Amino acid sequence: MKYTKKLALLLTAALLLVAFAGCSEKAPSSSSQQAETQPEQSEESAEVAEVVEPVTLNFWHHYSAQSAENETLMNVLIPKFEEEHPEYKINAVSHEWADLHDKILISASSQTLPDVARLDIAWVPEFQKMNILVPLDQEMADFAEVSANLLPSAMSTGMVKGNYYAMALNTNTKILFYNEQALADAGIAVPKTMDEMLAAIAALSGTNENGQQVWGLNEPALAGWNITPYIWSNGGNITNEDYTVATGYLNGPETVAAIKTLADLYAAGQFTGFNSGDIPMTDGFGTGRYMMLLEGPWKTAELAGAYPDFKYGTSEMPAGSAGSISVLGGEDIAMFNTGNKEGAWEFMKFMTSDFAQEEMAKCGQIPVNKTALESDTVKNAAYAPFLEAITTAKARPPVASWSEIDGELTAAVTDIIVNGADVQATLDELAAKVDELLAK
Amino acid sequence: MELRSKRNRIQIGLLLLPGVAAFAIFTIYPILKLLYMSFLQWDLGSMFEHSFIGFQNYARVLSDETFHIAFVNTLVYTLVTVPGQMVLGLLAAVLINSIPRFRVTFRVIYYLPVITSWVIVSLIFRYIFNTEGMLNYLLTNVLQLSEANIRWLDTRWGGLSVAMMLGIWKGVGWNLVVFLAALQSVPQELYESAAIDGCGSFSKFFYITLPSIKSTILFALVMLTIGGFNVFTSIKMITDGKPMHQTEVVLTWMYNKAFTTGDFGYAAALSFIVAVTLVFLAILQFKAMKKNNDAS
Repeated sequence: MKYTKKLALLLTAALLLVAFAGCSEKAPSSSSQQAETQPEQSEESAEVAEVVEPVTLNFWHHYSAQSAENETLMNVLIPKFEEEHPEYKINAVSHEWADLHDKILISASSQTLPDVARLDIAWVPEFQKMNILVPLDQEMADFAEVSANLLPSAMSTGMVKGNYYAMALNTNTKILFYNEQALADAGIAVPKTMDEMLAAIAALSGTNENGQQVWGLNEPALAGWNITPYIWSNGGNITNEDYTVATGYLNGPETVAAIKTLADLYAAGQFTGFNSGDIPMTDGFGTGRYMMLLEGPWKTAELAGAYPDFKYGTSEMPAGSAGSISVLGGEDIAMFNTGNKEGAWEFMKFMTSDFAQEEMAKCGQIPVNKTALESDTVKNAAYAPFLEAITTAKARPPVASWSEIDGELTAAVTDIIVNGADVQATLDELAAKVDELLAK
Repeated sequence: MELRSKRNRIQIGLLLLPGVAAFAIFTIYPILKLLYMSFLQWDLGSMFEHSFIGFQNYARVLSDETFHIAFVNTLVYTLVTVPGQMVLGLLAAVLINSIPRFRVTFRVIYYLPVITSWVIVSLIFRYIFNTEGMLNYLLTNVLQLSEANIRWLDTRWGGLSVAMMLGIWKGVGWNLVVFLAALQSVPQELYESAAIDGCGSFSKFFYITLPSIKSTILFALVMLTIGGFNVFTSIKMITDGKPMHQTEVVLTWMYNKAFTTGDFGYAAALSFIVAVTLVFLAILQFKAMKKNNDAS
């Protein structure tokens, strides 16, 4: 009896130890403490030819786990970096796109951020406002030299309030994807202007031979990423150039006209995709239910995987009264101020180098490195049509409250398009709300 | 029995320690920290330096229109799914209890939805109820009951109904197992003497079965009410609050505020309002049950 009790106590103690040993280990931040002492040590110990444990740098990204980009990252780029920098070891962690944003917010509040991360360009102002990014142009002596070889338009996405907090990593935009067969059957030329596009949408909408409804135009959501190309190409805007005021722009006549056009298309049964019950974008396009859409370079690989026999063409965003202006997407790479800055900077320089950029270009990432852009890999790539569109594309407002503005924008535009709310009145109300958010 | 000796008490205390410590660290501490957070300004611009702002976060939540929608939706979800699951679960339990064979087989079949992944069944429900989905195909093309496809998921009550159906379907098995265990503990003699007194099966059910399993019913009621207020995955996967936050529930709205817009102070206050509501509801349920007990 006594023996069992002692055993039970012993086991309990062991359980406690195991449980709380796990709690004390804080993986991501541990590397930063090591890092501060490590560089000097490595120099000294090199002389005595001792093997030094490399410092681990945590790198978070949203290259999909199964993608060619991730293969290249894990099997080509990281081994090469570790070979060039034996003092560092990269621990790359893949997240879903939306998860990565949320994970960084959570980690920031619990101070467990990684050293370096690949960020959607739209997140940079938000994270800068949170005070977790490092002003690279102030802290890195060779910043000017390194950034000189990167596209200025892409680099502008890393700038907030006059300082660079991130380096451009890759860029993209959306262009027109169309169902080749349907256009040929209807005898319609590929639309080059917005008017031609509207005519094509009307002609291609209706029912197919199975009696199923067919829509001329698809958008999978009604957020800024989806509707800004229509607004900008029509001469409208979200805010003024300084991103301080929305009234007069978001509810200006051009923006109102662009949104009204989309609402009319929806009412006429020619435009859909953003309702919960709608067919998903790729399936709808691949099965001939959606005839045209605006999408980025990744859609090529997606369609090749899901609908390899489907024939489609691509063309630049049809021009409105202000020209062909699509929305600029892409990613930046940035370091967090709680991480190992020296190591992170080495890795950032490597990821934007000619070598890494060309390797990534081979699997569909549009480079921002000027040398890589001149390479044959890029000139012969499937995304060549996107290169032209990037030069005229615009970035969404680089403001910290963009996520919130985007939420309000989506709700207001949904109210107009789906519920038929008055365009001018709804956008007036939205513009006033966005003014407040911009002032925050 | 020297259970209360000093030595024994130390031993009992030590044996309880891991459980108490884990509870304190993973439940009590987060709750207190959350309460503290709900009084701070804690958003994107003040992620590391928080100022005390009293009840401002609570005021913002309570005056937020989307919160009103989300709260009503959650309440409706709970009011529909809790009785729905309990009635169907109890019915199935009574039926299975009355058959002499295959009890285990039926129990397994009913329990299967409980152990399937929320994400996967949510996606399957979404495919069934899509505007171009299976149900509409059946209604328009096969049975030809409807001219055009019905937009089940695109309205507030349509989207919520689908989530509620999923909630009931997935919850019946749990209720069945709980009620079946309770039914088997009802003394057989009661039924026998009732039969001698000339009771039919309905009277037996209402005068013997239900009163005998009252404590189980209360247990299920409290657990399911908490579960109803915690609905998240199905809504997130099926409608994600669309259209225009009309199908938002309190947890999806809290998630959106905390992790999409970084408004942690607001989200903490929202959590506390939900927690207080739940405690209040649980007290009401206990009171109602006790009254009923005293009366009978």
